[in-house]
Amino acid sequence: MFYLGYLKSELVRRKSRTILTVLGLAVGVSLVIAVSALSRGLDEAQAKALDPLSSIGTDLTVTLEPQSQDVAQSGGGGFGGGGREVIQANQSVITDLSKLGKPGEQFVHDFFLPGTQLTFPQSTAAQIAKVPGVESVSSGLVLAAVHQAGTVPKIVAKIKAGGQQIQVDRQIQRPSAAEFAKMQACLAKAGITVGGAQGGAPPDAAGGGQGGLGGGQAGGGDRSAFGKCLPARLQRFRATITTPEQTLQQVVNPPQTNIKSSSYTIAGVDLKTPGIGVVTSALVSSGRFINASEGGGAHEALLSASYASRQSLKVGSKLDLNGTVFTVVGLVRPPLGGQTADVYVGLAQLQALASQKSTVNVLLVRAADGSSVGEVQKQIETLYPRAQVASAKQVADSISGSLVDAASLSKRLGTALAVLAAVAAFLLAVLLTLSSVGKRVRELGTLKALGWTQWQVVRQVMGESLTQGVLGGLLGVVLGVVVATAIGAFGPTLTASSSTGGGEGFFGLGAVTARSVTDQVALTAPIAVGVLIAGFLLAVVGGLLAGAAGAFRASRLRPADALRQVE
Amino acid sequence: MDTVLYDVKGAKRFFQRGPSTIEAVGGVDLQIGAGEFVALEGPSGSGKTTLLQLLGALDRPSAGSVFFEGRDLGALGDGELAELRLNAFGFVFQQFNLIPTLTALQNVEAGLAPTGVDSNELRTRSLALLDEVGLADRSSHLPSHLSGGEQQRVAIARALVVGPRVILADEPTGNLDTETGADVIDLLSGLATSHDATVIVATHDADLAARAPRRLAMRDGRLVGSAADGTLVAVVRTGP
Repeated sequence: MFYLGYLKSELVRRKSRTILTVLGLAVGVSLVIAVSALSRGLDEAQAKALDPLSSIGTDLTVTLEPQSQDVAQSGGGGFGGGGREVIQANQSVITDLSKLGKPGEQFVHDFFLPGTQLTFPQSTAAQIAKVPGVESVSSGLVLAAVHQAGTVPKIVAKIKAGGQQIQVDRQIQRPSAAEFAKMQACLAKAGITVGGAQGGAPPDAAGGGQGGLGGGQAGGGDRSAFGKCLPARLQRFRATITTPEQTLQQVVNPPQTNIKSSSYTIAGVDLKTPGIGVVTSALVSSGRFINASEGGGAHEALLSASYASRQSLKVGSKLDLNGTVFTVVGLVRPPLGGQTADVYVGLAQLQALASQKSTVNVLLVRAADGSSVGEVQKQIETLYPRAQVASAKQVADSISGSLVDAASLSKRLGTALAVLAAVAAFLLAVLLTLSSVGKRVRELGTLKALGWTQWQVVRQVMGESLTQGVLGGLLGVVLGVVVATAIGAFGPTLTASSSTGGGEGFFGLGAVTARSVTDQVALTAPIAVGVLIAGFLLAVVGGLLAGAAGAFRASRLRPADALRQVE
Repeated sequence: MDTVLYDVKGAKRFFQRGPSTIEAVGGVDLQIGAGEFVALEGPSGSGKTTLLQLLGALDRPSAGSVFFEGRDLGALGDGELAELRLNAFGFVFQQFNLIPTLTALQNVEAGLAPTGVDSNELRTRSLALLDEVGLADRSSHLPSHLSGGEQQRVAIARALVVGPRVILADEPTGNLDTETGADVIDLLSGLATSHDATVIVATHDADLAARAPRRLAMRDGRLVGSAADGTLVAVVRTGP
């Protein structure tokens, strides 16, 4: 076919122009594909990270957190003061080294603290389950844990003190005449007569006293009566002074120790509610879920995959929690912003470990249907004014990090960038075609002189542009796939963080008990077939538009004018 | 004059150049019969090319009319004019106007392809014409690899391939040396005779014009003389 041969000759023999046009379109198309893929990747990463509740089968989380105004008023609030509650709840943070064992022994100790997410009775779950519109409620206990391991230090020195008798030997001033007379009167009252001494000088205190006593005895008087009648000043010396016996424990400050502390978060999973809970079997990435039938998941633990990799733990590893050994049975990828933890054990297990019998600090509520979530949230808030009821969106809003920044950037710029790339590719194609048509005016005029109809000329020019569009589209699709794959292979890792608990102002406890979870999300750029087709069509349409523009210009020229054009 | 092919009556062609109007062809009356070989003489700017374009249905007269085989070209639509250009006219240009990306053979084919003949016939007829102009062995060469004379011969083959009734040549030797030019004119007149085509050649070369049986002289857009025997006789016209 002559026209196809002509088309091929035009494209092949004007190589640089063809390559430029095809490349322009290809770059535009690949940009569109890469940007959409990137933006899709971000959306997916975001959906994964920023839709924390749905993957745990939950619409709402209910927690009890001290309100900040309570802290500001320092206990003056109507609820008894959140700050004080926080301190009370976290009292056991002080390590009593003396209870760990004998000095020199190795010890492992874990503290479990609710942080600022206060605990409440587990029975609340049953009450909330009765709220209309609630389908199911699961409870959980999420605690900040501090793990300490080391050698018990020598922390006390025992000192025995007391038990000594103290002898007092001291010259005491004799009783005065008045004191003596008073004593005599006192004794007389008791029926004891002190004779002979009436007119003489009072006897020396000790000697006189003794003598008096002897006299008293001889006279059949009461010994205690004598003591009673001694002037108060002299009576003290009558007692035997014995210091109290006691053992003093002197704390060695600072104790010599090699204790290593590390903190992590631990959550108790309600195993009675599969499909909803702080972690669910759907989130297990390797291994298996805690076996609920074995007495409530006895001594089985799940680890978050990121924690496991940080700590070099894997399925089958053993965890020693205050002497109870848990076997890691699975790794999970918990969603961000939810009630996430590094370690998951059965709820009953954690309650026992942390001495938090029948208490929980989070309830996960699933509404019967999506539309009733808001209503349920309102009702729970009315029922429990102090409860913090968070919806998925509110939880998602608390997540921060580069993923969120990138996602919002992509939301704002992604579409604009794709449109810009498409427009630039279009413009390039149109301009190149127009300029090429401009250079070919004489040629197209000659074709008209040869008897080519307007349509035949237009068809030829459009055919060339369309072919360039198809080539550009194909190349663009290939380039786009390569770029998207490269992003997936070498792309940056984005982080998303969420913090629960903590906050400022809790007398410094906030910082200690805040639980922060950071998830690393590798950026991928998954390509949708639709985007590839759209990108390809974009180039084809671009080629057609460019061809139409060029052909329109060419067809408007009358053959005589076209021939008049000087080369 | 056996059959009147062209009957041109008071044909004018103006061009608007900014505020001024240029009269390229200012009232031409002319009759050309079938089978004639006509030279249209005149210096550049005298309106030869414009008149040729009016005769070749590349342009419409601003005033007056050009009848070809009894049809008023100025009244025909674009499609009918294209059809006439395809089947009735063959053009040869000073610059050859070959399509630079096409081979010699393809260039000849470009003049026949719109007729819709099948590709075999297209090839056969085009090759035959190339053979007639003596370039059968250069059929796969690009114009840039051909000499000026060769290029013009390809253009002549292209003009003749559809079997036109008229060959319109605009300064066909303008870009060629004298010897080559003479060869090209010989070829053109020979082929025109063998193909029964009327030839109208615009030229400013008096030697070339002298070879034509009929010579028309143009000055400032008007015919100033004509001679049917090759001798130009000045015709002085008075008034518009």
